[in-house]
Amino acid sequence: MGDIFNVLLLQNTLRTATPVVLAALGCLMTQHVNITNIGIDGMMLIGAFFAVLGSYFFGSWAAGLALTILIGVVLGLFYYVFVIKFGSDEFIIGVALNIFAGGLTVFLLRTIFQVKGSFSDPAIVPLPTIRIPFLEGIPVLGALLSGNTLLVYVSWILVVVMWALVYKTPLGIHLRAAGEYPEALTACGRSPQKMKCLASVMCGILSCVAGAHLSLGYLTMFTENMSASRGYVAFACVIFGRGNPLIVFLAALLFGFIDALGLRLQKHIPSDLTAMAPYLVTVVMMVVVVLWERRKKRVALKRAA
Amino acid sequence: MSKEIVRFSHVSMQFPGTLANDDISLSIYEGEVFALVGENGAGKSTLMNLLYGLHQPTLGEITIDGQPAGSQHSPERAMQMGVSMVHQHFKLVPSFTVAQNILLGHEPKKWGLFYDSKKANETVRKLSETYGLEVDPEHVVRDLSIGLQQRVEILKALRTGAKVLILDEPTAVLTAQETEELFSVIRRIVREKNMTVIMITHRLPEVMQISDRVGVMRRGRMIDVLNTAETSEQAISSLMVGRDVIFDDLRTEQESGEEMLVIRDLRANNDRLLPALRGVSLTVHAGEIVGVCGVEGNGQTELSECIMGMREQAGGQVLLGGKDISRLQPREIREMGVSFIPEDRLSTGVDQKSSISENLALGKHRTKEFSLLGVHLRRGRVKKYAQQLEKQFDIRCAGVDEPVQSLSGGNVQKVVIAREFSFETPVLVICQPTRGVDIGAIEFIHERIIEKRNQGCAILLISADLDELFRLSDTLVTLYDGQITGRFKAGEITMEEIGFYMLGAKQQEHKEA
Amino acid sequence: MNNSFVQTLRALVRLKPSQKLQRDYLTSLAIAVALAFLVGAGILLLCGHDPLKCYAALFKGALGTRRAFGNTVAKTITLCLCGLAMSVAAKAGMFNVGGEGQLFFGAMAAAVVGAHVKGVPGWVVTILALLAALAAGGLFALLPGWLKVRWKVDEVITTIMLNTAAIYFCTYLANGPLKTAEKGIASGTDSIMAEAAFTKLIPLSNLTTALFYAIATALIIWYLMSRSTIGFEMKLTGDNDRFARYGGIRADKLMLWSMVLSGMICGMVGMLEIFGLHKRFLTSVSNEFYFDGMLVAMIMRYNPFGVILMSFFFAILNIGGRAMEMSAGIPSELILIVQSIIIFFMAAEGGIRTALTNRAAIRKARREAAAKGAV
Repeated sequence: MGDIFNVLLLQNTLRTATPVVLAALGCLMTQHVNITNIGIDGMMLIGAFFAVLGSYFFGSWAAGLALTILIGVVLGLFYYVFVIKFGSDEFIIGVALNIFAGGLTVFLLRTIFQVKGSFSDPAIVPLPTIRIPFLEGIPVLGALLSGNTLLVYVSWILVVVMWALVYKTPLGIHLRAAGEYPEALTACGRSPQKMKCLASVMCGILSCVAGAHLSLGYLTMFTENMSASRGYVAFACVIFGRGNPLIVFLAALLFGFIDALGLRLQKHIPSDLTAMAPYLVTVVMMVVVVLWERRKKRVALKRAA
Repeated sequence: MSKEIVRFSHVSMQFPGTLANDDISLSIYEGEVFALVGENGAGKSTLMNLLYGLHQPTLGEITIDGQPAGSQHSPERAMQMGVSMVHQHFKLVPSFTVAQNILLGHEPKKWGLFYDSKKANETVRKLSETYGLEVDPEHVVRDLSIGLQQRVEILKALRTGAKVLILDEPTAVLTAQETEELFSVIRRIVREKNMTVIMITHRLPEVMQISDRVGVMRRGRMIDVLNTAETSEQAISSLMVGRDVIFDDLRTEQESGEEMLVIRDLRANNDRLLPALRGVSLTVHAGEIVGVCGVEGNGQTELSECIMGMREQAGGQVLLGGKDISRLQPREIREMGVSFIPEDRLSTGVDQKSSISENLALGKHRTKEFSLLGVHLRRGRVKKYAQQLEKQFDIRCAGVDEPVQSLSGGNVQKVVIAREFSFETPVLVICQPTRGVDIGAIEFIHERIIEKRNQGCAILLISADLDELFRLSDTLVTLYDGQITGRFKAGEITMEEIGFYMLGAKQQEHKEA
Repeated sequence: MNNSFVQTLRALVRLKPSQKLQRDYLTSLAIAVALAFLVGAGILLLCGHDPLKCYAALFKGALGTRRAFGNTVAKTITLCLCGLAMSVAAKAGMFNVGGEGQLFFGAMAAAVVGAHVKGVPGWVVTILALLAALAAGGLFALLPGWLKVRWKVDEVITTIMLNTAAIYFCTYLANGPLKTAEKGIASGTDSIMAEAAFTKLIPLSNLTTALFYAIATALIIWYLMSRSTIGFEMKLTGDNDRFARYGGIRADKLMLWSMVLSGMICGMVGMLEIFGLHKRFLTSVSNEFYFDGMLVAMIMRYNPFGVILMSFFFAILNIGGRAMEMSAGIPSELILIVQSIIIFFMAAEGGIRTALTNRAAIRKARREAAAKGAV
């Protein structure tokens, strides 16, 4: 078993969890304003592509990241306009966005880079790896906390920042009010629509950045459909964590762990089977969440009767 | 007399199809508690919404503290002018704390960025001390009782320093104890802050208890304004229910038969998980109409839903011809012989998107007449049958293939009645049969109901319309706060008298209804 | 002038109130399609191609030859059946997003039966495979359906998750225990009995006798949904489940069964693909076909003729896109972009229309106010 459960497993957990964490942070913004955004997967994919594009053409990872963020803003606004302004079915828009992303990225991949399947090139500058010298001396922890790529650290910081934003600032209060009871927000003269717009845009940015981590951090290449339903997993994490960034983070880590474990179990179990695990776990978690809520209601009923 | 703070002069409000307020002139003075009473649809809420700026009056003018409200009147402006309103449905975010709710949109900040919960809690604590409304700013609203939630809502209304506070049916959702607490709060803010409170209500004992003056509205008009100290519940209730339209009596003498529907000690909760029925017992005999009188929200909805199997019962029994149907599904209850006209006809009584004929066929679509082996729907027969009912029940439509949503309210109700009456069941539960229905259709519906009774049907009739109940019922029972407060034979009691029972002012001692 | 134009339109509309929605909707659809093609043309121009030539290649590639036409029709069938599966569930108020997984399971079950049942005539194998596919797809839809009815677990998320899980599972089977010993097949099962496969209706094309199975299914489902008592009950449940329960319909049971039925149709689509085209289970049996069919059904508001028409259109794009790629070297994914633009606009159709009407109304009000001010 030593070849499975070791420091490397934990390292992989962090690496595979990071894109899910970032996307889930975006998704929880829309969840708090009561939008069910299942287009995150597509946003991630588009983000991943443009990160590679920017990095390749400008020869700098920063440019790749900047381009990704810009595209994220555009996607967020697009989502806001179609879902909130035009009141379209968020479900249709989400699914169509995912299909659109698949088409767009492959089309661009083939027209711009003239390749099929995947694009990797030495000219793509990956995200920098950050070493924290004084931590490196510590066994296990040192290997975990140092030597990760930039966005891994950013995601950790963002978890705390988002938690503070959602629960500790007036802005967060307004966001949640816009989702939970917009009439209350309207009654005090604020616009729930503005909050929804903000949440959409932030969701766009974070989802795209999550994609950038996939293509510039986790790997240094773009592959067709490389988001591989991670957007949906991120969505499930948010449902499970009920929008609390800290719990969402833990849920994402759990998925990362299962994912990483699957990779390492490949010697013993076929990879296709282990790859199923995160999705099945998601279904189980959905059921757990619902049963939890039901129990609460039951208790309330008994008390009232 | 003290300063005039609100004045309505010749205010009228015309909504499409109804004149909600008809030439109302009224002055309200500083430091008084003014009660506004009247039946449903009398125009009380509309009048207050005009004051709060939710609508603009069609005619007339509203003056607040000497200043005209003007054509740009809005809730924000009303608040600036010192008028706040606590709506029947609270505008609170359930997962937020009391302080977060009260200060929503005006949060104090720490380091220019963060929500300063310490300061917020302090502000709310101070506010609550100023007005003597005790709340814990750190509690989460969802966990509070309705009474406390209302208190939060009142504090929110008072945050900007209101001079006039409008309360829309504040006691409708409160327990007796909570009502008592609310009243002491009202007395305190009036006495200590010299505020004015306008309270919309149904309940006469409360009017007597809390108000200085009372305005009685009926059909959009202000019938009278009385000094509470110089009047009585009886006087107010006769002003409230006094009618000019009296229909002929349709009933024929008839001996009622055996017990068909027996309800014993029925208990149930409402949607907010609070007790709505606290042990209701009543009996309906064959060939008898039992009318349930009561102000809305006293358990009528829950009672009808429990009988039909659409609501979980907390206790008690519903017996149909001796068989317990308490735990059955609507389908099984229907098969055993109950038909049901629900009060929310648009969401429960029909499927608006489906055609008239489809709505009429529901429940019979699997019978031999309308299907082959219960699988193939014989649409031709369904249509013919629907056309027959269309004639029989005088449903005015462009054709039975039209969707129900194209019909007027009265005709939708006729569709429901046609379907339910055609099951020929021995028991009928009828809720609000003529609400929102025009006069001509009312007459028609009443005749059909009486016809059913004369055929030997046991009918439970729940209505908010006293005229209707008096006209149709053989027996009247009053429902107040989830309990039966009285049972009378038709003719034994007057409308004025029954008002006392409906409003909780009187109660028969341990009468098995 | 604008106003009088609007008024004329309104007057026209008032003449036939019942057709209003339909006509407006079809107009919107035409505009959306035109817009999507324009965007596509723009992209093509940017890439240095001649849009007109490309589009000509597209339509020629989809309809130009008997073979191409056959492929297009075969594709239409797949999309229609997927749309039908979506409609069946949606009719009773269930959202089946899991068709892709149900399709995979149906395909796998059919392939296993087709390859391993021996010693019986070909047509028996076909029937057995069909039954296996129906069972596999239906059972796989039973789980999310039951979770929804029993505990109100949102079926959208569970079906999406089960999709991915199902695809991985079938991939595992095709790579592992059921992997064929034949050389040159990357991940696939043994080939099915040759006599059991469908025969081609148009030589060299993908159009096979599967067409008849599809038509039969469509007719059965059409009968069930619009002529039977069950369809009647499903409709009422989907429209207003409170009313259905009040009226004595077993809404829960219907919702569950509609989900299962939807899964069965998806399973059958998988079987038709295997027995018509691939002759063995391959992981490429479907490339999000279900999602395409589902979206087509949704934007056509489950109208049967609309769905057939739109499926045909999408099939043209799909087949033509591939031909265009081969002849003009334009990546066929351009078609996905065009398709999603159509869907975006059709989903937002109502909202855009309202926004435009509101803007016109506001402009009118402003103009009137200005006129008043001038007086």
